[in-house]
Amino acid sequence: MKIEEKVLSIIRANTEEKEGVTLVSDLRKELRLDSFGTLMVINALEDAYGITVDEADFTQVNRVSDVVALLRSKYHCT
Amino acid sequence: MQAEEFYQTLGVDRSALERLGFNPYYRPLGGLCRGRPRSEGEVCYDLASNDYLGLASEPRIHQAMASALQDYGSSMCGTPIASGYARILGELEGELARFVGLEAAVVFPSCYQANLALFPAIAARADVILVDHYAHASLAQGIKAVGCKIKPFLHNDLEHLEKQLAAATGFRQSFVVTESVFSTEGSVAPLGAIVELCRRYEAIPVVDDSHGLGVLGQRGRGILEAQALCDFEGIYTASLGKALANVGGVIAGKRALIEALRYSCPGLIYSTALPPVCAAGSLRALEIIGQDFGALGRALWQNHRQLAEKLEARGFELQKGAAPIAAIRCPSPEQTIALAKEFRRQRILTTPFVPPSVPPGQGVLRLIVGAKLDGPALGQLLSALEGVAAGILEGAIPA
Repeated sequence: MKIEEKVLSIIRANTEEKEGVTLVSDLRKELRLDSFGTLMVINALEDAYGITVDEADFTQVNRVSDVVALLRSKYHCT
Repeated sequence: MQAEEFYQTLGVDRSALERLGFNPYYRPLGGLCRGRPRSEGEVCYDLASNDYLGLASEPRIHQAMASALQDYGSSMCGTPIASGYARILGELEGELARFVGLEAAVVFPSCYQANLALFPAIAARADVILVDHYAHASLAQGIKAVGCKIKPFLHNDLEHLEKQLAAATGFRQSFVVTESVFSTEGSVAPLGAIVELCRRYEAIPVVDDSHGLGVLGQRGRGILEAQALCDFEGIYTASLGKALANVGGVIAGKRALIEALRYSCPGLIYSTALPPVCAAGSLRALEIIGQDFGALGRALWQNHRQLAEKLEARGFELQKGAAPIAAIRCPSPEQTIALAKEFRRQRILTTPFVPPSVPPGQGVLRLIVGAKLDGPALGQLLSALEGVAAGILEGAIPA
């Protein structure tokens, strides 16, 4: 599975707003991720990829595609 | 940073409130007066407070508090572990434990303080705490203070919770934290099923029953009665400032837990005890609920059903919930405030929730009618609701 599909699948399974999650979805404005919502996504990414994500990184990402880019660039996920 | 610069960093953004010409927060109010408080010279309808049973205006409670004031004075001026443990505080703790069906209880000055103090006193960094996504700020803050692994789960989603529990291995102890009634949603937790999952995965359930105590169950004894959890082995917390119409918070559960908190919970032992006058009020409230919940409970639910039907007839979409809370989801924080203003125009006081009380970009307007309005007052309220325009949630915000 491509990283884009895997991240989309993880985010869909771990957010209250499941409808219409795409790579351009805004994490806060559209998916309404608050602090616990963000933590839920981070935990799921950590479990799926066996990594430890710095929560501060998530303050810099806005869209689902930014999460993919972050995982690729900083955590070398594929 | 210079002092002036520092204090500027604490500024509050009131631009949206100023644009709407209405600030619903910190508005001075007279007494609750059986659901008809005075606000800025007008007699209003109180759909904002958590006075579910109307006990804030109950003369038998006022009398009990006045009597305790005579007996004990205004305060014990001490912490409960030292000179602050008034006899009536001990009586209240015993009665609260009996009321909810648990071994023992300890009373804090507020439920926020109880939730904040609980987790650092019982959990360690080697533990994991699973918590409902929409848990109250006091639970969230208390959990964060532990410094352990936190695993939020989707709101009331048992499948998601079980996945998190199954993946939570290698920790000293797991806790699962939820509320009975989520007050911005009106939703009720499937606590029985959560407790069963906790048994299977050796986790300790923790439930905040602030909006359930005095509200849920055939006898008003809260979530444990409502879901027939007579052998609950977890930790129970609740506010005494909602249906009990007083102030304070309780933690109840196994005797070993309560004894440990009495001697090792800094949030309890270093804080001035709840004043005896407040303990007397809550004690009397429990007695009244024990005697009168049949009639109070019927009025509570009848009033709520009439309010909900009227709101839906006026075009408002209510969140589906099993608690006597009418929650109107609003598309934006600004529209939430505008809707509160529209209700206030009809002299109806409501509670608008905007982020961070609810997820980003939205809002909830909460209305709790409770049992406090009698037939004629309820009729007047329903007539007043005819003047509230639901269209405010659809179009642009009026200036």
